[in-house]
Amino acid sequence: MSEVVPKLFRINTGSCNGCDVEFMPTILVEKFGVSTLGVEMVEDIKDANIIAITGPLTARSESFLKSAVGKIRHPYVVVGVGTCAVTCGIFRDSYAINGPTDKIVDVNVNVAGCPPRPQSIAEGIAKGIKVLNQVMNGEDIPKTIDTIFKDFSAPESFRGRMDLNPDMCTACRTCETVCPSTAIKITEIAQGHVHNIWHNSCCYCGNCAYFCPTGAIFSTNSFDTVKLQSEKFEDVNSEIIKPSDCSSCGDSYMPPSRGLLGKGYVHDDVKKLDTTICSKCRKEANFKRMYA
Amino acid sequence: MSEKIEIGPFHTELEESVYFKLEVDEHRMVEKVEIINGFIHRGMESLVTKKNFMQNLILTERVCSLCSNNHPMTYAMAVEKISGITIPLRAEALRVVADEVKRVASDMFNLSMLTHIAHTHELMKDTMNTREHMQDLKEVIWGNRMDMSSNLLTGTKYDLDDRKVKIILDTLDTVEPKIRDLKERYENDEELKTKTVGVGVLPLEDALEIGVTGPVARGSGINNDVRVMAPYGLYAYRPELQPNVTLSLRKEGDVHARAMARFGDILEAVRIIRDVVADMPEGDTYVDKRPHIPAGEAVVRTEAPRGELIYYLKTDGSQKPVRMRWKVPTFTNWEALKVMILGDKVDNVTMILNSIDPCISCTDR
Amino acid sequence: MSIEEFNDAIKNKLFGDYELKEDVDHYGNSNSWIVLHDKRDMEVVAKAVKSFKGRCVVATGYLNEMDGTHTVIYHFDINGMIMNAQINTNDKTVISITPILRSADWAERELREMYDVEPVGHPTKDRLFLDYSIAKGVLNEYISLSKIQMGVSDTDVLWSQVNKGVKV
Ligand code: SF4
Ligand code: SF4
Ligand code: SF4
Repeated sequence: MSEVVPKLFRINTGSCNGCDVEFMPTILVEKFGVSTLGVEMVEDIKDANIIAITGPLTARSESFLKSAVGKIRHPYVVVGVGTCAVTCGIFRDSYAINGPTDKIVDVNVNVAGCPPRPQSIAEGIAKGIKVLNQVMNGEDIPKTIDTIFKDFSAPESFRGRMDLNPDMCTACRTCETVCPSTAIKITEIAQGHVHNIWHNSCCYCGNCAYFCPTGAIFSTNSFDTVKLQSEKFEDVNSEIIKPSDCSSCGDSYMPPSRGLLGKGYVHDDVKKLDTTICSKCRKEANFKRMYA
Repeated sequence: MSEKIEIGPFHTELEESVYFKLEVDEHRMVEKVEIINGFIHRGMESLVTKKNFMQNLILTERVCSLCSNNHPMTYAMAVEKISGITIPLRAEALRVVADEVKRVASDMFNLSMLTHIAHTHELMKDTMNTREHMQDLKEVIWGNRMDMSSNLLTGTKYDLDDRKVKIILDTLDTVEPKIRDLKERYENDEELKTKTVGVGVLPLEDALEIGVTGPVARGSGINNDVRVMAPYGLYAYRPELQPNVTLSLRKEGDVHARAMARFGDILEAVRIIRDVVADMPEGDTYVDKRPHIPAGEAVVRTEAPRGELIYYLKTDGSQKPVRMRWKVPTFTNWEALKVMILGDKVDNVTMILNSIDPCISCTDR
Repeated sequence: MSIEEFNDAIKNKLFGDYELKEDVDHYGNSNSWIVLHDKRDMEVVAKAVKSFKGRCVVATGYLNEMDGTHTVIYHFDINGMIMNAQINTNDKTVISITPILRSADWAERELREMYDVEPVGHPTKDRLFLDYSIAKGVLNEYISLSKIQMGVSDTDVLWSQVNKGVKV
């Protein structure tokens, strides 16, 4: 089995420049480890075998991207850098956007993030190299590749993958409304609601967590967002928000969270409130408590 | 004999995609220049009218990641003006801190790109590594190295406590001596000077006529810093915070002068951050998380790292803007490129482009 | 620079009526508005701005849904004061002020490609940002003529693939 020398070329297809600006330190700053991968930056795309693509693919970039990759006469892999490259992210559905990238070229590795940390971009390049070696040696490409740079860590405060605590969520849809890049979908089903967060569409802005009235949705500091193309549509946080049966009348209802109750009943001890009854029954009970 | 040369749209020395068609003479001097834009045009002025006011706090941040704090801030100021809301003094202070931190990081990125293109490797490495401290700071305080998500309509999302203020001050203590040292070296490094002095000159008269702003203007001796000419936010309430622009002014108008003007801006930004956190106003950080926005229109402006940023906003009382338009510094600074490039060496084109610190994503939108 | 000074410079030269109002924000910055009713008057205003060594910062256009006319606002800066000059057009043309103020160049070209409003007398014909695959005047469409109007947005397409994989 032979090792290929990875030769890297970056193409910007209309990025907000965040991804491209982060690409530079990824390459030039020691601590991000790219130098340990033996990567060579090439000036001419014809010589490249790893193509890093940023941006949501604007109308004007499309033909240039096609002709640029058309010049490469040997096997290569494509690493999509940034949520834009993966799903067009926040710019999706604009008249000027023709992406995402995989409509035009075969993408191998996706790095979600807006922008991704250099550590993630480095990881994306490393996984790209792995795929390239497998391609060159005629091996099958696995469904997932384990993290290559295992020593990287992120500060507590890093806005990484979003997570949901279904017990606190009331399916109020605030997060869906304030999410700028349609990364959250809440759908009604027989058993209640499904709350989906699609990490590849997320721009990690934290708007959902900031505006959520109950604190159910929150950001973790996980930057594990570098996935293979085969995982593109599967990297989803999916939770079912179940309604409850009212202990008084038996109707099915969406229980309010304690957080929300705390706001409504400022003078009461929320812990003592009976949260197992529906709002109709609670109103009745309250009425009786006050006037009976 | 003239020769045609093309640069771009994808090129290792171009951070963003743009396409130059040049004609050069037998000494490789540029005789004719045509620049094709639009590679980063994402139809953003249309998109902002399809998203609600909360979503637009984030979308405006993605106009450009280098001045990604100025856009939502200026947009928020326009909303606040239409709504007749005066935001708490503490929020004004927090906005200035976020903004000046971004300015330092943005200007330092431009300087590292300059030395990268000039192949002055040691300078590039030291500039990039110094900037990394600012990147780390942003990640620790705001959660992302580029997009801080710090602004809220009627205030800020984030607050600072003593622990965080200490982190900021410690970072500044680390970077300030490094920046001063870098400034000395940029000023005197023979190799860098050979490559940048007298290159890409923008004479004062052209600068005035084209209407350039920011460090490009300051490099040609013009001071039209919005923080001084039309102070807003905390710069209006506390005039002593306004940058001392004389520290940034240069008259040579070349690539080197624009780089040195940025050093002036950076050091003043460091001073401003220190002054603000030393005397943080008490109080709330916002007025209303989700304010009602009546019908109206407003024009507001701020000083982004590259110069004047102006927002026009028109609302009709609904959840989405009717029209939003913004003008970024590069929009006007771009025309100056032609003056700088014509008659200079073709090998200098990417360096001259970098010297206006072009933000093409801002310009193309 | 004061609004009175500016008014003195234009009042005897304008062809049509006009309204002038000054608006000072709570930071103390002056932001004046002048509404013009004769297209030729934008040239008069531009000449006055030039004589005060001002510049055109940018111009905004928008479509008035009610009557199909367009409003164009030029934003000028005169020594730190913002002056917004507004004009309506019902035939999709304005008189270009780029020959007077070079700083208006790009703003007017954008007006042409985004709203299909022609700055008559503008020196350049080339597109600026909008790719030739997209018809000019895109911002006139309330919902842009994109995939959304044809019933399938990229968001829908992509999410349907996500949903296929989600097990409930
Ligand atoms: S993914 Fe985010 S940071 Fe990267 S180009 Fe897109 S909007 Fe910018
Ligand atoms: S996560 Fe929060 S905002 Fe979203 S639906 Fe649940 S409770 Fe509402
Ligand atoms: S962080 Fe939340 S609001 Fe922001 S894009 Fe991701 S899911 Fe949407």
